[in-house]
Amino acid sequence: MSVVGAVVGFAIQTLAVSSIYILVAIGLSITLGTLKFVNFAHAAMYLAGVYIGLGIALELQFTGDIARSIGLGNVGLDLGFLAALAIIPIITFGLGLLMERFVARPFYDRPDTDQILVTFGILLIVQELIRAFVGGRSLTFSRPAWAQGAISLGPLGTYASWRLAIIGITSVLVLAVYLYIEYTDVGLAVRAGTEDAEMVNLLGVRATRPFLVIFGVGSGLAGAAGVVGGPVFSVVPEIGVGVLVPAFLVVVVGGVGSIVGSVVGGLLIGAVEVGLVMNAPTWSSVGIYALAAVVLLVRPAGLMGVVEVDE
Amino acid sequence: MAASNDNMAENDTQSRRDVLKTAGAAGAAGIAGLAGCLEGGNGGGNGGGNGGGESEYPSLGNYPIEGDTAVLGFNVPQTGPYQEEGADELRAYELAADHLNNGGGWVDLWEDLSGDGVNGYEIDYVTGDTATDADTARESASRMIERDNVIMFSGGSSSATAIAQQGLAQQSSVLFMCCLTHSNDTTGGDCVRYGFREMFNAYMTGQALAPIVTEEYGEDLEFYQLYADYTWGQTQQESMRQFFEEAGWSEVDSVPTPLGTDDYSTFLQEAVDSGADVLFLNHYGLDGSNSVSQAIDQGINEDMEIVVPLYNVPMAAGASGSIEGIFGTDDWDANLDNEATQAFVDAFEEEYGSTPSSPARLAYSSTMLYAAAVERAGTFYPPEVIRELEGYEWNNGGIGEEIMRECDHQSMRDILVVRGLAEEDQDPDTGRYWEVVEQSSYPDSVGYECDSGPAAECELGDYGDE
Repeated sequence: MSVVGAVVGFAIQTLAVSSIYILVAIGLSITLGTLKFVNFAHAAMYLAGVYIGLGIALELQFTGDIARSIGLGNVGLDLGFLAALAIIPIITFGLGLLMERFVARPFYDRPDTDQILVTFGILLIVQELIRAFVGGRSLTFSRPAWAQGAISLGPLGTYASWRLAIIGITSVLVLAVYLYIEYTDVGLAVRAGTEDAEMVNLLGVRATRPFLVIFGVGSGLAGAAGVVGGPVFSVVPEIGVGVLVPAFLVVVVGGVGSIVGSVVGGLLIGAVEVGLVMNAPTWSSVGIYALAAVVLLVRPAGLMGVVEVDE
Repeated sequence: MAASNDNMAENDTQSRRDVLKTAGAAGAAGIAGLAGCLEGGNGGGNGGGNGGGESEYPSLGNYPIEGDTAVLGFNVPQTGPYQEEGADELRAYELAADHLNNGGGWVDLWEDLSGDGVNGYEIDYVTGDTATDADTARESASRMIERDNVIMFSGGSSSATAIAQQGLAQQSSVLFMCCLTHSNDTTGGDCVRYGFREMFNAYMTGQALAPIVTEEYGEDLEFYQLYADYTWGQTQQESMRQFFEEAGWSEVDSVPTPLGTDDYSTFLQEAVDSGADVLFLNHYGLDGSNSVSQAIDQGINEDMEIVVPLYNVPMAAGASGSIEGIFGTDDWDANLDNEATQAFVDAFEEEYGSTPSSPARLAYSSTMLYAAAVERAGTFYPPEVIRELEGYEWNNGGIGEEIMRECDHQSMRDILVVRGLAEEDQDPDTGRYWEVVEQSSYPDSVGYECDSGPAAECELGDYGDE
């Protein structure tokens, strides 16, 4: 393989690995940046995206203990993958609004530790509810027929069609959210609130509503990440916790409150992971933590962040 | 023979209760005296039903059992990459406990077992979650031994957890019956006197697979390995390398992947770029489902042949049609045509409404093997139970003739070489995901002497009564 081929192949692989992390991280980052709210329950939206998405696209088999005891069978709309991808962000947007109103808001003025405990607790509750109803066994989220199989890119290698589709979907979604925040009034209020929430309030801007909306947008992205990530990995209740850690590291590396930072952080995390797998696979699982540690030491606010993580 | 032992056990238990009632009135001194009389009267090797301080054997580990209930510990992965295997194991353990107390399943086939408890004791159990992690497994097992006073504990998936637990078993003088553990080390360098394994190992998988796979795919091929980076994966890839290189193939590279990896795409891309002809995916459980599914998604099967050396049904179900045409080995298949298989499958399906997997059979079988050994020994005293298991031969476990070797506590038995079916030919209702290509038999196709293979590194510890 030529040098150019190797570099482009590396870039594609990095994009493929990073995409899911970025989609989940953006919501975390915005919430932490604007609302100073550490929301580990964000991963519950990813879980909702996977499981509800599976029920919308195909069929969800309820084999958990509670489901069996009440005779709940299979439930599914069988509307197809694209329908799930369209509907899930709306559903998780709504769930995000509810979460902001009833979970996040009462804890805005509470210490970070309280926020972490309550939101991580919610994530575990959601995870165990899924286990109780749907069951703990792994489910297969079949990808749409048009994205099955592999595509050969000649000297750049052969890639799973779905991985390339994920890169495309992620790019569109991230760009849409970026434009929304950069070029709308809501986005302006959110950006101003991220810089100096107190001043925004003093200027008479009612920041509560933009923050509520942006909380929902982040949740919608996490739900979308669940739909696009579901077909890649075995679907089990723990995948929420599994995606939370790398997504949080993306926020740490990229910087709190910055969409660009989430993208850069995600790409860096992905590049380190891919690079280590290629050259030192034994270290691949610890490399991303080492990267986060180095970034925290050198730039406590993250590469593109405006707020330090511990502020 | 079993029946007479049971009767003896019942009589002994009854007489002990009567004695204790009397002793309760007479006071502690009286108890000691009467117990001493009983010990004398129980000579002749019958320890059945002897709880409390009346045993002819000295205290050891959690022996003697207090009361009239023997507690077993079932320590399985209820979370983590092997949770599906663990869930099926737990179902089978619970079924085994039920059958030991009330009859049914293999209890009706094995003449050593009565269906009225074990050796006069009712069977109860506690469960634990190893989280597919060796440290967590050891902690959970410690609680079972120290708090719950289990007389035997069992578990596995992964080998790291099994090895950690059997090390604890040796230290605590409490027997551990391995369930699903496939590492060579379990009955090799890490073998213990207080651990027994019915499952075959990676070495035997290599023996079974190499001739069939090399005949199918041709000679002088190059292979690339990905392996789970812990004891099982490490010994698995070593055995694959040994037997396939002996068969004329050559290894291009062997790359470790962390246990619990979700995304194998980069590892797989490296495998393709290596130019090798065959890819061995030494992954199991959810890891196995993910790696083989992602390999097919990535189109690797168009450039390379894929082999998954160790299969099971939960893993195949997770990978679905991705396993089409892929060779591997498994412990057992629910569609085998023999009486023990049928009895177990029928009982399992009746209880849970699903077809049992091979890890479930191992769990059920390990419990039954232990219970039958206790019945034959006439006591729960661990060294006597161990001696009953050592060298024990049986053919009613659903997989043909088996022998539990005395030298390394490794079962020598047949192995199923299987090949995945296309999704449309699979039948989840009957657990049919592959065709059995061959039942590689011991000693013709698989097995090794006590001074070779993994057994050469095995030094079993003490019985505890020396």
